[in-house]
Amino acid sequence: MSNMVVISTTAVPDHVRGAISRWLTEPAPGLYVGTVSAKVRDKLWEAVSASVGEGAAVCIHPAENEQRYVIKTAGERRRRVVDFDGLQLIEFRAENGNVPL
Amino acid sequence: MSLLVSTSFSSARRALSAPTLAMLPRIADSLSFLYLENVRVVQDDTGVCAQVAKTDGSADRVYLPVASLACVLLGTGTSATNPAMATMARHGTTVVWTGSGAVRMYSASQPSELTTDWLERQARAWADDTARLAIAVRMYEMRFGAGVPEGITLQQLRGLEGQRMKLMYQMLADKHRIRGFKRNYNPENWDQQNPVNQALSAANTALYGVVHAAILALGCSPALGFVHSGKQHAFVYDIADLYKAKHTIPMAFSLNKSGNPDREARRNLREDFRLYRLMPAIIHDIQRLLAPELDETGEETQNPELVHLWDPDLGPVDAGINHALDPGW
Repeated sequence: MSNMVVISTTAVPDHVRGAISRWLTEPAPGLYVGTVSAKVRDKLWEAVSASVGEGAAVCIHPAENEQRYVIKTAGERRRRVVDFDGLQLIEFRAENGNVPL
Repeated sequence: MSLLVSTSFSSARRALSAPTLAMLPRIADSLSFLYLENVRVVQDDTGVCAQVAKTDGSADRVYLPVASLACVLLGTGTSATNPAMATMARHGTTVVWTGSGAVRMYSASQPSELTTDWLERQARAWADDTARLAIAVRMYEMRFGAGVPEGITLQQLRGLEGQRMKLMYQMLADKHRIRGFKRNYNPENWDQQNPVNQALSAANTALYGVVHAAILALGCSPALGFVHSGKQHAFVYDIADLYKAKHTIPMAFSLNKSGNPDREARRNLREDFRLYRLMPAIIHDIQRLLAPELDETGEETQNPELVHLWDPDLGPVDAGINHALDPGW
C-alpha cells in the first residue's frame, strides 16, 4: 500500500535533489512530497541519507505508533530528534558556533 | 485553513494564541502523556518549550505540542513558569507533578472551561448509597469481566478482589520464575527494589496521570471515588484499577530482568495505549459507569461558554440576564 512521504533537504548536493525529484514533487525549495510504497520510500531514503554530504535531510512518513508518523534524519543540524519514552520531539540545540542552523 | 484565509491577520493571530474548542483535539484523539525530568518549562514568543540547561549556561530547547497532549508529567528537577502553565491550562492539558520516574503523583491541574454535566452525574451517583454501590459493583464486573451474584456486599466484593489479585501475582511470579515476589512500594529505597516493583510503580503512576487527565477532561471530580474514598484522587484510583490487570501488572512482570525498568515500563505502556486506544476507552468507560442508560452514540457536543442557573423545577435556566420579575424602581 502506498503512503504519503515528505522529505526535506538542506544544502544537499544537486544530484541528490535531481534524484528525489524523479519520485516526488518539490512544492518548495528542498521540500519533497509524494505517495510511494514503503519499499520504494525506504530505498529512496537509504540513498538520500547516504549522500547528504555536508547537508542534511529529514524524512517523515506515516507509521503505526501513537503519533502516527516517524521522523528520520540524516546529517547534523541544530535540530535533533529526541525520543521521550516513545514520543518523538525535536531538540533545538543551544548555539555553540560549530553546528550550522 | 479556510479559517486563516478568511480572517484578517490579527484575528488569525489571536485564534492561534487563544484556541477555540474546534482547534483542540478531542481528548480521545490526543497523545496520551509526556514525562519530563530536569528541565525548565517556559513559554517563549513562539510556544511552550522545555529548556535543558547545559554546563556552559546555554540551554537546548524542546518545543512541546501541548495542544495535542492530554497530560504532561513533570518529574524531578523540573520547574515551570506562570505563562507556560497558563498556556497549558488554555489548551486543556493536564499538568501532573510527579516524583522521579513518574513514580509518585503529587498534584495535578484542572483546566476550568468545561461543562459540569458529567460532574453532576458523578456527584449524584456518589451521594446516593444505592447508586454508589451499583457503580462499585459495575467496576468490579468491568475489571474481571464477569458478573457478580446479586445482592453482594462491598465487603464480599473486596474479598473477591483480593483473592483475584493474589492469584494473579502468584501466577505471574511463577511464569517469570521469580521466587518470593512481594509487591512493595518504597520510594525511600527505590534502587534496591525488584525491577518488577519499580516497573509497576512507574507504569501505575503514568496510568494515574492519563486517567486523571481523562477524568478532568470530562469535568469530573478526581476526589469522589466509588470504591476508594477519603483521598483527593480516589476516583483516579477507582478508574485506574480497571486497567491494571490488563495493562500494567503483566507488563511489569515481563520487565523483571530489565536494567531500566521504569523507563521501559513507560515505553511499553505507550505502545499499549496506542494499540488498545486506551485514552478513548477510559473516557467511554467513565461515561458508561456514570450513565449506563445513555445511548452509546458518542460524546455529546460540549459548549464550555454556556453557563446556566439551576432551578429544581424548571431545570437549567439562562444565566447572564436579569431574572427580577418586576423590580418596581
